[in-house]
Amino acid sequence: MTQEIEIAGLSKVFGQGASAFRALTDINLSIDTGEFFTLLGPSGCGKTTLLRMIAGFEHPTGGTLKIAGEEMAGKGPNARPVNTVFQSYALFPHMTVAQNIGFGLKMLGKSRSEVDTTVAEMLRLVRMEPMADRKPSEISGGQQQRVALARALAPRPRVLLLDEPLSALDLKLRKEMQSELKRLQTETGITFVFVTHDQEEALTMSDRIAVMSAGRILQLGTPHDIYHAPAERFVADFIGDTNFLDLPVTAISGDVATLTLPGGQSAEARLPAGYLPVIGETVTAVVRPEQAVLGEPGSGMLSGTVASSVFFGTDTHLHLTLSDGQDFILRRQNTADLPVPQPGTPVGITLGAGTLRVLRS
Amino acid sequence: MAAQTPDPAPEGEPQERHGWKWALNAPALAVLILAASGPLIIVAVYSFLSPGNMGGVAWDFSLDGWFKVFWTRDIFDPENVSWNWGNLTVFWRTVWLSIQTTVICAVLGFPTAWFIATRPPHRRALWLFLITIPFWTNLLIRTFAIQELIRGTGLLNTVMMGLGIVNEPVQMLYSDFAILLGMAYVFLPLMVLPLYAAMDKLDFRLVEAGYDLYASRFRVLWHVILPLVKPGFVAGSILVFIPSIGAYVTPRVLGGGRTMMLGNLIGLQFGQGRNWPLGAALSMLLLIIVMIALIAYLRTVNRDDGGRRG
Repeated sequence: MTQEIEIAGLSKVFGQGASAFRALTDINLSIDTGEFFTLLGPSGCGKTTLLRMIAGFEHPTGGTLKIAGEEMAGKGPNARPVNTVFQSYALFPHMTVAQNIGFGLKMLGKSRSEVDTTVAEMLRLVRMEPMADRKPSEISGGQQQRVALARALAPRPRVLLLDEPLSALDLKLRKEMQSELKRLQTETGITFVFVTHDQEEALTMSDRIAVMSAGRILQLGTPHDIYHAPAERFVADFIGDTNFLDLPVTAISGDVATLTLPGGQSAEARLPAGYLPVIGETVTAVVRPEQAVLGEPGSGMLSGTVASSVFFGTDTHLHLTLSDGQDFILRRQNTADLPVPQPGTPVGITLGAGTLRVLRS
Repeated sequence: MAAQTPDPAPEGEPQERHGWKWALNAPALAVLILAASGPLIIVAVYSFLSPGNMGGVAWDFSLDGWFKVFWTRDIFDPENVSWNWGNLTVFWRTVWLSIQTTVICAVLGFPTAWFIATRPPHRRALWLFLITIPFWTNLLIRTFAIQELIRGTGLLNTVMMGLGIVNEPVQMLYSDFAILLGMAYVFLPLMVLPLYAAMDKLDFRLVEAGYDLYASRFRVLWHVILPLVKPGFVAGSILVFIPSIGAYVTPRVLGGGRTMMLGNLIGLQFGQGRNWPLGAALSMLLLIIVMIALIAYLRTVNRDDGGRRG
């Protein structure tokens, strides 16, 4: 697999002196050709700044950025083989849908017939053929979204940058567009770099995710890795629901630590790469709510009592209090005949093998 | 869905139950009739009357005023009619100078407005304030100031001679150039302000989208920015062209008596010329020129918008 984007030691500081703001610090990243890559993080984490630097709208204060093996420093957005789908779509209001889609090709100096052919192809790709002669103000938000996608894809960029393109859509439309985007990416084979703060969006669509916070990449991996093996508290907290347990280390062998659970039982937990706690130290371990199984009191590895329950349709979230007072959330699949335990009911909790993980502190 | 009723009025708009509410419009109507239509009607009527001996009008119907706008009769042979080239030259100069003024204001106003619109928001107010400062001073004073700058022994000539650019003073005053300079200076803010208003509303992400889609800076300007600030150009052009075409003070002070514009010609008829009907006919002509120019202009600029809308 070839590398489409290579970023090394990239940093960005806005302003100078006392008012300087460090938007990005030492970003190292390589994105493969044809990959659906997501930058995930809360607002202000620097993900949009990073995207804008790839697009060429912002210039790095340090580090290098290569696209298709070529250094991009000094090249403006119009000299880079990337196109952006803007959060606000930024469709040209004075042009028709077809003119919008054809704009990039026209600027590249393609012949009129070539522009027309590609525009027709793009209209078909995003299923907007009947709207070709409408102005952007005459179509719906979801349709504008499709046009923005078609416009950015029409010049066949090596990389498509998407800046929270789905955030303005309602839930149902957003779900539709998620699968639409995935389809387009598969059909065109273009590398997608997708920026979002929506962890679910990131998990469902991406090949790989970079979780960002405060201008740094905290963890980079497949959705599976990010979800099941978060390395830091921020990542574990930001993505999905998680139980954090503060537990003492009693033994370490290789990358597995033995921890003492509330109630005295021992459990093994995997350590994140490059992190070695001392024996006796208290570490933070995580387990996802759906990986814990409810049992009879006294069974399993943990014991606690039910504090409350929340019904979610497909499942129920049980808020438990462990024997040492720590909170624990357990998610249980609902079946028609399964009774919901009343608050105050004592329960036992079983943790699946390999589900407990230690976080880097 | 709604049941059939004899009342076809759209929902939400109740019937005219309160006829007296019309009375509330009376002040506005009175202003419109008295201030706008009234004087216009007087001028229109005067243009079809005969000149009075000591100025004013005599109440005899006559087309002489209108006739003299375009044609002139030989004093000795009234049957010998020829074009009034004096007047026609003034019309042409007036229209041509006004077009040039509008173009100059547009060319200078665009970068000025762009500069202001791209400042940080809290600084823009200051720049706009600076743009409006000339309005604080009387037009006549400012025009004399320009005269002072460009006269034979004025600042500009003194500096140019001091630098050795020219050996003798350049005659700038009392020329079309002087009028153009004066009018462009006076009317420039009227172009800058609507242009700024249009640019202020401009979504700069569209500019980024243009760059992103391989357009050069010039092509972003041409294909994205200019079409989007067109309403500002349209409003600015109207605001500059109309007062230009009726300009009086500027051509009077900077053009001397030699280069007259329509405003001066009209003034002359009501003053020394003592031919009010001719002055009134010229005024009506000015109005007609402005209307034709406006209609033609608006048709041109709106042409590409009209077709696509379904």
